[in-house]
Amino acid sequence: MTDSNTQSAGKMLTRASVYGTVSLALYFLLYFFEDFILEFTSRGGWYFIAPVVIAFVFSYFHGAFTSHFWDTLGIKAKK
Amino acid sequence: MELATNFIPLDTLDVTYLLVVGFIGGLVSGFIGSGGAFVLTPAMMSMGVPGIVAVASNICHKFPKALVGAIKRAKYGQVDVKLGIVVGISAEAGVLYGAHIQEIVHQSFGDAGSNLYVSLAFVVVLGVVGSYVLWDAIKMRHTAGNEPEKASCLARWVQSIHIPGTMVYFKSLNARVSVLFTIPLGFATGMLAATIAVGGFIGVPAMHYVLGAPSLMASATELVTAFVMGVGGTIKFSWSGLVDIRLAMIILAGSLFGIQLGAIGTTYVKPHMIKMVMGTIMVLVLFSRALAIPVYLSELELIDMLEPHFSGALLNISFVVLIAALAAGAAIVFASLWRGISTSRREAALATTPATMFAPDVVAMPTSPQLSPLGRFERFLLATDGSEYSAGAVRESLRMAGKCGARVRTISVVAGGDAELYAMGEQLITKELNTARAHLDDVQRQASAAGVACESEATQSGQVYQEIVSQAERMQADLIIMGRRGRHGLARLMVGPSTVRVIGHAHCNVLVVPRAAELVGRRFVVASDGSRFGDAAAVTAARLAKLCHTPITVVSVIRPEHSEERRREAHTIVGRIVSFLKQEGVVVEGIVPHGRPDEVIVQTANAKNSDLIILGSHGRTGLERVLLGGTSERVIDQARCAVLVVKSA
Repeated sequence: MTDSNTQSAGKMLTRASVYGTVSLALYFLLYFFEDFILEFTSRGGWYFIAPVVIAFVFSYFHGAFTSHFWDTLGIKAKK
Repeated sequence: MELATNFIPLDTLDVTYLLVVGFIGGLVSGFIGSGGAFVLTPAMMSMGVPGIVAVASNICHKFPKALVGAIKRAKYGQVDVKLGIVVGISAEAGVLYGAHIQEIVHQSFGDAGSNLYVSLAFVVVLGVVGSYVLWDAIKMRHTAGNEPEKASCLARWVQSIHIPGTMVYFKSLNARVSVLFTIPLGFATGMLAATIAVGGFIGVPAMHYVLGAPSLMASATELVTAFVMGVGGTIKFSWSGLVDIRLAMIILAGSLFGIQLGAIGTTYVKPHMIKMVMGTIMVLVLFSRALAIPVYLSELELIDMLEPHFSGALLNISFVVLIAALAAGAAIVFASLWRGISTSRREAALATTPATMFAPDVVAMPTSPQLSPLGRFERFLLATDGSEYSAGAVRESLRMAGKCGARVRTISVVAGGDAELYAMGEQLITKELNTARAHLDDVQRQASAAGVACESEATQSGQVYQEIVSQAERMQADLIIMGRRGRHGLARLMVGPSTVRVIGHAHCNVLVVPRAAELVGRRFVVASDGSRFGDAAAVTAARLAKLCHTPITVVSVIRPEHSEERRREAHTIVGRIVSFLKQEGVVVEGIVPHGRPDEVIVQTANAKNSDLIILGSHGRTGLERVLLGGTSERVIDQARCAVLVVKSA
């Protein structure tokens, strides 16, 4: 019982770390290429797709990270 | 490459500010489905972001946030995707129309006119919907308890209307509803979203009160609607190149932490808390906007010009109240989450501790052919806290159980509702429980020595009285026996100790035994006001008097101001009960004294050297008890002997 708990806690921590790293990398890219990304996403017209895609990508990785983050801290939904 | 003129440079302070506001906004959105974003547009504008870019960036962060929140809450089975999409599509039309109206107002009346229009929309919508939601939350908190939510009359009517070709089944409603109802609701939601940035202030109450969705599902489904609206809004604004993706993603970084936490919080609370948070925020935002209205009226010269410093002060206070609204909502969510998780962990800790369970499915053979539940004394629930105040209850319950041949279940409930207690650590809880178990072991030894069947359990609950009442229900107790704390007067009413609450909520009789009281069967005093509650007390007294071979004095008190007719009635009441008791073979006398009922009943018991007062309970609780009832409580307060409060079946 304790072993399986430890294993699942380990998995959770690994997942949180992976998603957290990707999320951090995305925000770093946003910061590093700030001017280009801002110019590209504000061109208007069919470029509207750019902010929408960026929002989806960020929400996927950062959303998964935040979910695992609270799980890792032991803050989970009531079963 | 130069930044576009619409976009401002960001420093560390700006980023931190957006992260914090985003987190709090996300927390509230995750909990009530919306309502976290209204403060973000003014927050960004306060940093120097142009209004239109602030609105565009806010919307661009909202749709991914709503998506993550909806997915999270869908895992808890709270989302009705079909309803969210159907409402969301019509909301898109509402957003476009609402934005069009905004443009017309802006062209006709300028910035001040536009601001006044928005503020008036806030005040009217939040005044009507917000106050109703808050009122309903307070009402639910006091009346509903653990009962499931019921659909409103309006929702039942909407669900009963059948319009061929327009009916759609929604799982959250568990009914088919015409889309002719959902379309205007979605449209209104979209219009509000375009006007005040929070369509959910109409969307959630509409799904709950008009369509009949449970409030938890309504708030979760609103996230789907917000997602649909958000995607549409983002496309519209980014087509014009107005979205500042940096602002949107920074806010998203904070809000996704918040929305996950808010969604988790919904699994720990009762439905009324969703309404409580939503209603509180709505009413506070209403005040915020109402404060700004005189400024805009002044700018439009509809009222006398305000001093510039006065206008500035009003707008600043308005913004602070807006922030306070969000902070208040977040604080309630945090508190609910903390309390819920603390309780859940304590329950988990208790589940792993060994407990001897009472076996209520085995009913003891009655010792006499007594079929009235009022006079049955076969199963006792003894609630003890191990203190000196419970000593009388323990002693007399075993004595009485010996006489009646009853089984006794003894419980000791460790109070642990406050977060502080849990914060002190599980060790403290374990220590409290161990102390309680040691005391219960001692009670069991006494019971064994007295030849009484006894089982015991130490438990923990946020509300001691609820646990006692619930255990009594589970074991189908005939009698709850408790001690009495030495609290009197107003403090008793205000503090509301467990004993008083148990009497108010229990369905079986409750015996309150002061520390020094003895139940040896010298004499019982039965008090009656002629109601069915008084009759129930008489029936119970008859049974107990026969078991203990005890004489009874029947009392019906009349006040000096009572009419002659009421006095005659009191004599009739006493005569009737005396006749009944005589038929039961009990030695009985009847008296009709004057004075304040509680004082006279206690005086009579003292004068007759009675060891038990028996009276009926009207079973009132809460404010009604304070205002109307309370004779039994005052008797319990003042009596030196034990008091048996008989609950009418």
